[in-house]
Amino acid sequence: MIIETGIPALDDHLHGGVPQGKSLVYYAYPGVECNVFGMQTVHRAISEGGRGIYVTSSTDPRMIRDLFKEFGWDAAEYGDRFVIVDGFSGLVGADSPEQYVVSNPDDAGSLTQAIKQVMEDAREPSVIVFESLSTIMDLCGESATLDAIEEWNRYAMLYDHVVVYNFTAWPYSEDTLAHVKGDIFNSVVSIGGITEKVIFGQYFGVRKIDWDEVTKKCILFKVLKPGGVRVYLPKILVTGPFDAGKSTFVHALSTRAVSVDRLGTTVALDHGHVDHRGFAADIFGTPGQERFDPIVKLLSGEAMGIFLILDSTNTADFVRAKHMLEITESMGLPVVIVANKQDLEGALTPEEIRRGLDMAHDAPVMPVVATSREGVFEAFDVLVDRVMEAGSI
Amino acid sequence: MTYNLGISRIDELVGDIKGGTNIMMIGPPMCGKDDITNIIAYNGLINKNAAVIVSTREPGKNVLDWFESRDLSIPPEHIGIVDCVTRTLGFGAPDTENIKMASSPVDLTGIGVKISQFFERFWMEMQVKETRLCINSLSTILMYSNLQTVFRFLHVFTGRIKAANALGVYVIEDGMHDEKTIVTLKQLFDGMIEIREGDDGYQIRAIGLSPKPTPWFDYEIDGVNIVLRG
Repeated sequence: MIIETGIPALDDHLHGGVPQGKSLVYYAYPGVECNVFGMQTVHRAISEGGRGIYVTSSTDPRMIRDLFKEFGWDAAEYGDRFVIVDGFSGLVGADSPEQYVVSNPDDAGSLTQAIKQVMEDAREPSVIVFESLSTIMDLCGESATLDAIEEWNRYAMLYDHVVVYNFTAWPYSEDTLAHVKGDIFNSVVSIGGITEKVIFGQYFGVRKIDWDEVTKKCILFKVLKPGGVRVYLPKILVTGPFDAGKSTFVHALSTRAVSVDRLGTTVALDHGHVDHRGFAADIFGTPGQERFDPIVKLLSGEAMGIFLILDSTNTADFVRAKHMLEITESMGLPVVIVANKQDLEGALTPEEIRRGLDMAHDAPVMPVVATSREGVFEAFDVLVDRVMEAGSI
Repeated sequence: MTYNLGISRIDELVGDIKGGTNIMMIGPPMCGKDDITNIIAYNGLINKNAAVIVSTREPGKNVLDWFESRDLSIPPEHIGIVDCVTRTLGFGAPDTENIKMASSPVDLTGIGVKISQFFERFWMEMQVKETRLCINSLSTILMYSNLQTVFRFLHVFTGRIKAANALGVYVIEDGMHDEKTIVTLKQLFDGMIEIREGDDGYQIRAIGLSPKPTPWFDYEIDGVNIVLRG
């Protein structure tokens, strides 16, 4: 059986998820969000009817359920399918409300005792998430922790549990980091930051799996509250001729959107934020009139994919549509043609539009009625799939 | 990019502090280190800098109140507080515009993430490039973690301060740690603000920020001013 992480794009790259008895480490660079990955994984397991065990090391166990709630995951509903191993209270000398308590959190042996106990007591294969392996390493020492991990993983394999570790790669010894990235886990997912002077973007990518081939890709993500980890597309461009329905499309697709317009015509841009099917995207709509072409060029920089919106009843605009694609300098970028206004009389079929534009036979043309949101998310799904296929983002 | 501390005579003697400087502030209990730290942050805020304050001893709300009660003309959106206290008291407070919650002083991963988030917001969204990071205090973090752990954490974040041309101020309680701890941590800093008990109250000086240490000055805290005597 395969356990999904709850992050669809990651599950794709893990070939479905993590097989029972295997381990996974989320290997994060300092300053990049990591713990939410483990939380999302345990939430996914429980919401699918499984059982989750959460080993806390740096958070008061009374706060854990609140933390889940911030992401929209109501841990109170998990009931006894969610168990907390308290490796924090002992550290601050507080009483623990939990059944499983690590009496001495800075001793790997004490932790191992609690972990083994909870693994044995679990009535079924479970997902065990370590909130912060780096905190354990800080408290117990690098060498003792590495030894303990091997023991926990062996024990988990025995009971068919999946073990997931959140790990922040502080500057530990090179040896330790090499072990964590290399040989002690069945799979490693890197979580990194795009840094110039500061971290301004985050990505993840599978670094190692020992049950299938690795596809090396970096996928941008954002953490939403509520929502959790969302694959993030920072710029999707929506362009097309005047009056094709670009603004309507942006608003139909977005959870929130604004337009800079005058008398109903976009004169600068539309901007919307999409949160759909595990993906978050910022979409930018261009004006359609020729006099705004310099703005179109400006807006199109660094776009990751393009929606070309067409009025399906207006073949006269097809030349202009192709010209707009050229202005956006979108050569090589994934493009989805949105055949809008399909509800109007005289609307061409997607096939007719493809021929009219002289596009390749596999160029995606999606029938859409933006005013009623019909087909807009299907078009988004197609573009996202193309962007993801296109390579590293 | 340069900074000053907002401590008049010391600023004159030290001159402009270049971006990327990390300063350790060390002094005995009750000498007003919290106020001095906040005043250094405040001095940036009135000059359109942004300030990130990591609070390990006071709930973030109290830190924010300190600023709000003293001067309403500072831009509140330029203040970011990483609160390491509230959740350890058992309160499930959510993040706000100004205050982001870390789970505890042990949660160095969370503290690091929240600092980075504020820096990203100030730099990328608000285009405020001059930022001050004040960690008050390292001593609390050291109570729950060991020296090596804190050293690793600081190694990363003093490096980030340098990369971002920001100013870092890190508070340590004098007399609470052994000599080895202080000597080890000192390696990471470019200078120090030292506070000691004098005959007539407390005294302050800066070391390492100018060719010679500044003289010791008696001081008093008056609102958002540090008044030096002598």
